[in-house]
Amino acid sequence: MKELERLLDRIIQRVNINLRELEYDVNPLVQKLIPPNQMTKFYAFYGITPHHPLHLQFRHSNLAGSYFLGKCSVTNSLLYKSDIRGDELKQKAELFQYQEFEIPVAEDEEIEIDDSFLIKTLVHNFSHDPETLEKFFIRDTISTHYANIHGSPSDGCFLGPFSTVDLTTIRDCLVGTFSYIQAGEVSHLNIEPGTVWVRSPETFNFLYRFPLQRLNNYIYFAAGGSPQGVFIDFVEDRKEAFQRIFNVVNLEPSVSVPNSASLDRFAVIRPKTHISENVLVSQRAFLQNAWLGKGANAQEHSYIINSRLEGNDITAHGAKIIEADLGKDVFVGFNCFLRGRPESRLTIGQDSIIMPHTIIDVHKPMTIPAGYLVWGLVTDEKDLKNNSMSLKAFSKINTRFSKGDMIFEGSGAEFVTVFKERIQHILEANGAFFNGHSNKGHAQQNQNISFNTIQPYPMGEQEGLYPTIIIRP
Amino acid sequence: MVPISEYATVAVGSTLSEAVLALEKAQEEYCHTQYSHRAVLVLDSNKQVVGKVSQLDFLRSLDPKDDKIERIKDIRKFGFSSKSIALQQEQYRRTAPPNKDIYTKAVKLKVEEFMQTPSEGEYVNEDTSLDTAVHQLLTGHHLSLLVTQKKKIVGILRMPDVFAATFHVMKEVEATKLGEDIS
Repeated sequence: MKELERLLDRIIQRVNINLRELEYDVNPLVQKLIPPNQMTKFYAFYGITPHHPLHLQFRHSNLAGSYFLGKCSVTNSLLYKSDIRGDELKQKAELFQYQEFEIPVAEDEEIEIDDSFLIKTLVHNFSHDPETLEKFFIRDTISTHYANIHGSPSDGCFLGPFSTVDLTTIRDCLVGTFSYIQAGEVSHLNIEPGTVWVRSPETFNFLYRFPLQRLNNYIYFAAGGSPQGVFIDFVEDRKEAFQRIFNVVNLEPSVSVPNSASLDRFAVIRPKTHISENVLVSQRAFLQNAWLGKGANAQEHSYIINSRLEGNDITAHGAKIIEADLGKDVFVGFNCFLRGRPESRLTIGQDSIIMPHTIIDVHKPMTIPAGYLVWGLVTDEKDLKNNSMSLKAFSKINTRFSKGDMIFEGSGAEFVTVFKERIQHILEANGAFFNGHSNKGHAQQNQNISFNTIQPYPMGEQEGLYPTIIIRP
Repeated sequence: MVPISEYATVAVGSTLSEAVLALEKAQEEYCHTQYSHRAVLVLDSNKQVVGKVSQLDFLRSLDPKDDKIERIKDIRKFGFSSKSIALQQEQYRRTAPPNKDIYTKAVKLKVEEFMQTPSEGEYVNEDTSLDTAVHQLLTGHHLSLLVTQKKKIVGILRMPDVFAATFHVMKEVEATKLGEDIS
């Protein structure tokens, strides 16, 4: 156990050194966040499929409850109940298109995690940084509960609970609780909680900042305590259901799953759930009385409860949909929290985009028209008016625009186009357009994954640390 | 250089209102050039200059200091242009409750709350050359420099005076050159 504690101190020190310019000390935030005895309790596991290169290396690390798929190396790190998904890693000899450059990938891309502490974090790739095609690095970084590091090499950063860094190379930054950053490349920034920032340099810049007092009700994190608020209560209330599926070795799916769909064995499925063709349900997803139409997906840490998704709907990592009806092709971004009530359902018209980290929490029925863009915090019609706009109207912005707490600069048409292209990519990658022969994606390729488990030293100086393990085909 | 005795000064602890009156009085009394004074020097109990209040500082003291405005200003770090920041500020001001007390509150402010403390580059010795003074104004983006004699501040060198002196030298050089051409 001593070695585990030393490792945590070492990581904290390294992160603090990187954040010294921001005068930020992560020690009071993370020192007691996960009790060391929790880190010895859980096994780690990895997936084997014929579709993903198998090359895993673990050195001097704790991997409690974490999951690995795809080429990955972990050194001097603590990974607590995190998902390290490498099923979109670039392959050797692929050509990576960046602006006018076609860059050959020299070797199979690898996720490389060094000197980092990731808590209940999702790491997923499809990184876009042309400077580091073969290494998707996470170094000297601490991420807290339900953060997403998505295609974002990270060096010397602290990520607050429910924050997301998406397609952004990030260095020496502090990303506040529930902030979403998609900005290409950023360094030395202190990003306050509840910031939603989407920037494509020279093309557009979108910024929304949550009113902090209202956000604190949903998620709040301060030194000396654990994250708290509606989001935490929500996931804690459903925690037991996950404990059962992690404790059982063989588990038969409780619903009928079409051949073209994929239901991860580590997802929770509760009665009256329906899964259509080409649906993807990832590990740690929670479905209860959920109707998923053709090509819909439920990604890691997503919750769909008493809701209907007509088809080709995306429920991105960490998104929650409760008592809602979604038309076709609705995009629900990372960590969104959409909550209707049994007598006050939320209806979202087709082709709408719910921006990442949007909260819609209503006590009266609400309908979002088709083809709308929604962002920020919406609890009533007044909020909806301030925090939404038709995609058609948004496309007409060509200089700058401000509405409520949102500010936009640049081309609205480009912004909408980029989002739609991204949605198309996600659906393609997830296998939503599989026709029985072609257009295979994760829904088809992630079927029949074998899972192996690995365990740490059970006691002594090394208690909680995993031995050096190298797994090759 | 304007001798400090002819410049607007107030003591530490004076209010904004007193500083404005001191500036007005000094402007009326100083009629050596067409350029009037644009700042007030703040003196401590030893008559040493500890700060300077420019016209911009006066206006800044009237700018509402609520958290929301400060938060809007902070968006510059996300790469937004000044025009976009102004747009959001303007939108906020249209919807924010009117602040009628703004002038009443401002006149009671103490000068220490909005004065600028002179930086190292804002001092020149009394025997500094005109060229060096110009260089110091340009590199520091200052509107005036404090002139010292040993450790004591004896005057203020204002940008309009430096401009006038430089222009005067330029005219002299031109006139000399013209004289040489004619002879």
